[in-house]
Amino acid sequence: MAEALFQISEPGQARVKAPCTPGFSRAVGIDLGTTNSLVAMVQNGKPVCLVDDGGDALLPSVVHYAPDGDVIVGAIARDRFAPVFPADTIASVKRFMGRGPRDAEATRKLTPYAFAPSAETEGVVRFAVAGGRAVTPLEVSAEVLRVLKARAELALGAPLEGAVITVPAYFDDGQRQATRDAGRLAGLEVLRLLNEPTAAALAYGLDKGAEGTYAVFDLGGGTFDVSILKLEAGVFEVKATGGDSALGGDDFDRAIAGALLAGLGLPADAGGDRKLTRRVLDAARALKERLTDADEASLELDVGGRSATVRLTRAELEPLVRPVLDRCAPAVRRALKDAGLEARELSGVILVGGATRMPLVRRFVHELFGRDPLGDIDPDQVVALGAAVQADILAGEGNRDDVLLLDVVPLSLGLETMGGVVEKLIHRNTTVPCGATQTFTTYADKQTGFDLHVVQGERELVGECRSLARFKLGGIPPMPAGLARLEVTFMVDADGILRVMAREQTTGREASIQVKPSYGLAEGEVERMLLESYAHADEDVKARLLAEQQVEAKRILAALDGAMADSPELLGDEDRAAIAVARAALEAKASGADANAIRLAVEDLDRASKPFAERRMNRALERGLRGKDVDTALAHAEHKHG
Amino acid sequence: MSTHGVREDHFAVLGVERRYDLDAGALEARYKELSRKLHPDRFAKADPRARRAALQRTVQLNEAWRALKEPLKRAEYLLELGGVKLATDDGGARSGGVAAPQELLMEILELREELGEARAAHDDAKVARMGEAMRARAAAAAERVAQGLTGAVTSEGLEAVARELVALRYYRRFLDEVSAHDEAREGAAHG
Repeated sequence: MAEALFQISEPGQARVKAPCTPGFSRAVGIDLGTTNSLVAMVQNGKPVCLVDDGGDALLPSVVHYAPDGDVIVGAIARDRFAPVFPADTIASVKRFMGRGPRDAEATRKLTPYAFAPSAETEGVVRFAVAGGRAVTPLEVSAEVLRVLKARAELALGAPLEGAVITVPAYFDDGQRQATRDAGRLAGLEVLRLLNEPTAAALAYGLDKGAEGTYAVFDLGGGTFDVSILKLEAGVFEVKATGGDSALGGDDFDRAIAGALLAGLGLPADAGGDRKLTRRVLDAARALKERLTDADEASLELDVGGRSATVRLTRAELEPLVRPVLDRCAPAVRRALKDAGLEARELSGVILVGGATRMPLVRRFVHELFGRDPLGDIDPDQVVALGAAVQADILAGEGNRDDVLLLDVVPLSLGLETMGGVVEKLIHRNTTVPCGATQTFTTYADKQTGFDLHVVQGERELVGECRSLARFKLGGIPPMPAGLARLEVTFMVDADGILRVMAREQTTGREASIQVKPSYGLAEGEVERMLLESYAHADEDVKARLLAEQQVEAKRILAALDGAMADSPELLGDEDRAAIAVARAALEAKASGADANAIRLAVEDLDRASKPFAERRMNRALERGLRGKDVDTALAHAEHKHG
Repeated sequence: MSTHGVREDHFAVLGVERRYDLDAGALEARYKELSRKLHPDRFAKADPRARRAALQRTVQLNEAWRALKEPLKRAEYLLELGGVKLATDDGGARSGGVAAPQELLMEILELREELGEARAAHDDAKVARMGEAMRARAAAAAERVAQGLTGAVTSEGLEAVARELVALRYYRRFLDEVSAHDEAREGAAHG
């Protein structure tokens, strides 16, 4: 079924060899990052990151949903739309991949997003965005992937044959499946999910000819991974991996934002104000980035209409983020132990991820490993470059038969048994692909079915592990307890994705499933999304929304003119100047055909006229208190739309 | 344990002699050489049947490597092939395999109690001393396993090796607790 759909999405993609740029690989590597995403391709034997029109390799992983169904991805979404439409502009979506509505990430206090209500307690997170739509993290990620795919096809001059998409080594099965499905939704043939640290090691190993045992310390926007790899004669063998799939630069930002809010005397959840939340988080990120080179940084922050200066020194920053950073240490120690190594036995430490630029992080890595890390390849690009090499190998075009990656299962896989105890079938750090078989029996007389609950994690009790899937094997003839023999086989492929097969030996009844994550999408949902995405570009809807925005713009211009004529005494020179600029911009856009530009211009004018509107409101209230009809006064003062 | 009737044994999968004293470097080189040939990545563009076959053979290869790369696991596997079963952890004598003698269980129980007290009292020196003693004991047992499995092996010899291996499980669990103590201490020092 999936294959048939591929043919619909990309006619003849894998069959017809269209002319393309000679020397370029037809498969790409994609680093689908929390903060930024990249696409790289092997060109004439060397991996290269592809850039956009402006020469940027980094595509901010930020997706804006407009009411007319338009989707805007990248720097414009981040810089232009996120501050104004925080709930309709999804950033750091990777942290929600394969996660349910009850997961920590979806229940944070300081969040700019609105979540669509979910019918059941289990299921996938959905963001409520403009146009009354509810989008899943998978769909948001697919939008980022589409942009990268288009960028690569432009460079290649032909359709892509496939892509290797990277995932944090510590992603569980559900997170991996969500990523692979996002690739499929974007019309990509996903050749492989590759662990990010492994990709980084591949880039280093081939470029620098490194041999020996290396640690890869990967601290990205949303995830932390540490992997220990042995590089020898072209074989990259992962010895151990560890990490935290919910720990990254975003958590630094949140810690800094918390301090900024406290410093401004504001509540820790920014009073539930989404725009303020977005602005404070952005300010935190900007300060953090500047403090990589500077000892002190400050910026202006718009707090409820007034501008406040927020200032931070590096000395103040470090104690704020240090507790977050310290959470990396146990994972590093455990990975070393699992690999049976001491830190001093390593040949080097490779840094990956933007957060590793921070001086504090470099010092921390030095403390942990007792050596200075390597950083000769751009930590933002190294993962995409490695993925491009792997894509080239898998597409079978390069002459790299000598290179092989041997990766591992990051978290143990098991089944729930009596009393909620986990029976592990595959232990963490087992080389993939791998399999395991275990026999279970019935515990009750005349039991006619087995309920299988597949979990992933290191803890002994089911409740403390991640629930991956539940399925049932029924139709077993009634027997006394302990007589039925259920043989369960786990099989993990080279992508790290699990398949479970169960067979009752006395009857030969079988059940086999590709594990559908409990916190994932229902069967067939990706296929439905694929089909829907074609019907999506509905021109009628667009035309109607444009007309609506134009009417709205006219209404607001008229209301503002009326209010200004009515109360000129409430307007300062500054107000007049700001309003004039924003008003002219809106007038210019209102006659155009870009509904989003009009919407942004409306918001800008709204902001410019806000002090004036507030003064009018206050005066109306005062008058009302003096005995006039408040409703009339308010209605008169209100020139805002909505 | 997965025990299918007609499967090749792990030594055959790796194409090495069925013996305990294998050269670690040569074994690893053999594993990697076979991985290069069999790994599904080599068949990424092949037809589905070839891909499935590659997957199955690599799963088998990885299982063999896991069973043989560490000497003590290799020893357990050799015993299994020789028809000597080790008792499962919880089953004791009931599971029918070779179990640890009662006096060893009692001794280890007492040692672990003593270790627990030293940990609770933050007596790092004592924890280290006890760990050192147990490591020496485990090393000696491992040495006896190696000797027992080298050269001509009788069924009595296998039973003796089995007893050493069962004891080693208890020694390792004790040593795990020593590491847990060291880790907790390191964590506290860094945090």
